[in-house]
Amino acid sequence: MIAGAWICLFAPLAGTLAIALLGTRVPRAAAGWISTTSVFVAFGGALWSFVDLWSKGGHNGRTSTAWTWLESGGFKAGLEVLVDPLSTMMMLVVSGVSGLIVLYSIGYMHGDDEERRYFAYMSFFVFSMLLLVEGGNLLLLLAGWGLVGLSSYLLIGFWHERPTAVAAAKKAFVMNAFGDATMALAFFVLILHGGSLAFQTSFDNAANLSSTTVNLVALGLLGGAAAKSAQVPLHTWLPDAMEGPTPVSALIHAATMVTAGVYLIARTHPIFEFARTVELVAAGMGALTLLMAGLIALVQVDIKRVIAYSTMSQIGYMFLGAGIGAYANGMFHLMTHAFFKALLFMGAGVVIHALAGEQDIRNMRGIGAHLPRTKWMFLVASLALVGIFPFAGFFSKDSIISATLNLGWYGWIFWVVALLGTFLTGLYTFRLFFIVFTSDGEVRPHHETRGEGPWTMMLPVSILAVLSLVGGWIQFAPIWTPLTDWLAPVARTLDVAEPTSTQEWVTSALALAISLAGIGVAWLLYGARTRRETPRLPALQRTLEHKFYFDELYDAIFYKPAAALAAWWRRDIEESFILAAGPDLGETAFDTGRGVRRLQTGLLRTYVFFLGAGMAVLAVVFLLVK
Amino acid sequence: MLGPGIAWYLGVSAFLFGIGALGVLLRRNPLIVLLSLEIMLNGANLALIAFSRHAHNGAGQIFALSVMAVAASEVCVGLGLVVAIHRRRLELDVDSLSELRG
Repeated sequence: MIAGAWICLFAPLAGTLAIALLGTRVPRAAAGWISTTSVFVAFGGALWSFVDLWSKGGHNGRTSTAWTWLESGGFKAGLEVLVDPLSTMMMLVVSGVSGLIVLYSIGYMHGDDEERRYFAYMSFFVFSMLLLVEGGNLLLLLAGWGLVGLSSYLLIGFWHERPTAVAAAKKAFVMNAFGDATMALAFFVLILHGGSLAFQTSFDNAANLSSTTVNLVALGLLGGAAAKSAQVPLHTWLPDAMEGPTPVSALIHAATMVTAGVYLIARTHPIFEFARTVELVAAGMGALTLLMAGLIALVQVDIKRVIAYSTMSQIGYMFLGAGIGAYANGMFHLMTHAFFKALLFMGAGVVIHALAGEQDIRNMRGIGAHLPRTKWMFLVASLALVGIFPFAGFFSKDSIISATLNLGWYGWIFWVVALLGTFLTGLYTFRLFFIVFTSDGEVRPHHETRGEGPWTMMLPVSILAVLSLVGGWIQFAPIWTPLTDWLAPVARTLDVAEPTSTQEWVTSALALAISLAGIGVAWLLYGARTRRETPRLPALQRTLEHKFYFDELYDAIFYKPAAALAAWWRRDIEESFILAAGPDLGETAFDTGRGVRRLQTGLLRTYVFFLGAGMAVLAVVFLLVK
Repeated sequence: MLGPGIAWYLGVSAFLFGIGALGVLLRRNPLIVLLSLEIMLNGANLALIAFSRHAHNGAGQIFALSVMAVAASEVCVGLGLVVAIHRRRLELDVDSLSELRG
């Protein structure tokens, strides 16, 4: 089973190296296949580890160390992989969804100028993500954490001739680096107080830390998680990241990387449990994000941005689940979300592909008639996202919402917010669906394709559609809960986050009703033959279109002062002082040289005289002092 | 102890050193300059040996021997330079060798 994990980790890296080192010697089409194969090999490895772990009862898991990676004094960190229920689940989700999306990319990226570079990056991303979830200690986790940030940066800026893409890549990198920094600081504190970054040791050490220290560590971890998972207030990079190719948005900015924050909370939950306040802050962050992102998604007109905000909103649910202590529910939603969100993005990708790059939903009216299969699959994904029985989102989202009920007064706030969120989800998802796929319009595909896309695109979409349909049935709380039981050895759900079955049923029914109400309102406004007028609330609409002014705020707080400071330094220090000083220094040196050169007579006798005179003076001084 | 006191030896030594130093400073022929250098060194040697004897310590004499060895090698180099100057048909005058004048 350990061999499976190592294969899983290094197969994508081998793919990257093969594509990168062979360069132009591999045909462009072959690069995609190398990458796809490497990721599916990784999936095979993950499956092997999973089945093996399963057959052994799935307890605790084990670590395999290849060699000592870093050693410094008493601190030691090995290159090791951890195979336990949590990591195998992530391995399966990451490598499985990645494989499908890389396969989809073969069709989507066909004919792009730099296909090889794209596929090398994709494999590299999968490797980084697997390092993140398989890493057997916090240091390796951080290494993977940094590498996924890097590959995300590379892929967002993949079309590097577009200034907006480059700017978006930089923005994502800087915000992620902020999270990496807080995480690294948390790890420094852990090393300082425990001398170890091994998972179990540092969790045991956390019990002996003062509450301030453990709160600091948890806050650092939360900073990293929030930046990676685009939670308020570190979320502004995610919508801009949609500048990357659509499969990248599907893979990195929906299915895998952005959910790493949830994985981090589940993985380091013992630390968070010692700092329960911080954990609840995480839940609050999730609640705030799911509401804000849901509201912003209502007014966006770029198809990918709508889905991006919906991703933020759904990760908000996962944070809420993980934050209140229902780790398994958070992870469950992570898994189903990976299916249906990847499907949504890939469906959007088919539409964008058919319209040769058009992303504005107002210019897509009527395309649904030409893309019937995509339309149905998009509908499946939308229903799964909204959480309509029997699609995947229904099972995972409702169990998160009902888990909030036993927490006291803030639990009720979370519950209400989460239910409001389901209404928004229904509204924005079906606003998108009705406008793009069912409204009448003249838009037709740009180029005559056979069917709706090559099979490499349609096959992954179909598989994901099936998964979105049945993926949720793995767990149907409270009737059967295999996933919770599977994760229990690693991340046991806290008692306060265990709802009674009455609470489960009532919440499910309410959530379903509210989601349907959201869909109904969307239908009235955007779908019905005789459409109602969209209510006009100019102030609110402006606020939402500016995304609650976060970008403007950060601009005013960070960018403008820095730019002003730089301009001031340039004017008053650089130009007036440093630049002006150069000629002056030169002149002074010349003048001094002209004065001193007269001492050099070239006559031996003067040198000897000065030598002797100097000696004489020194001798006299010496004698006098003595 | 037989012979004159240390002061006499030091007087002669200082005298020799002074003559040598004046020669180095004033004469222009490189050969004479080298000669004067030798006189300076020997003045110094005389002082070393005088002190050595005065203090009943042999170290000064050994030191004088090594000064002689250094002097011999220095003269070799110096005479070599004089020959080289002569070969290039330059004037044998230390004041004319003043390329380093600033």
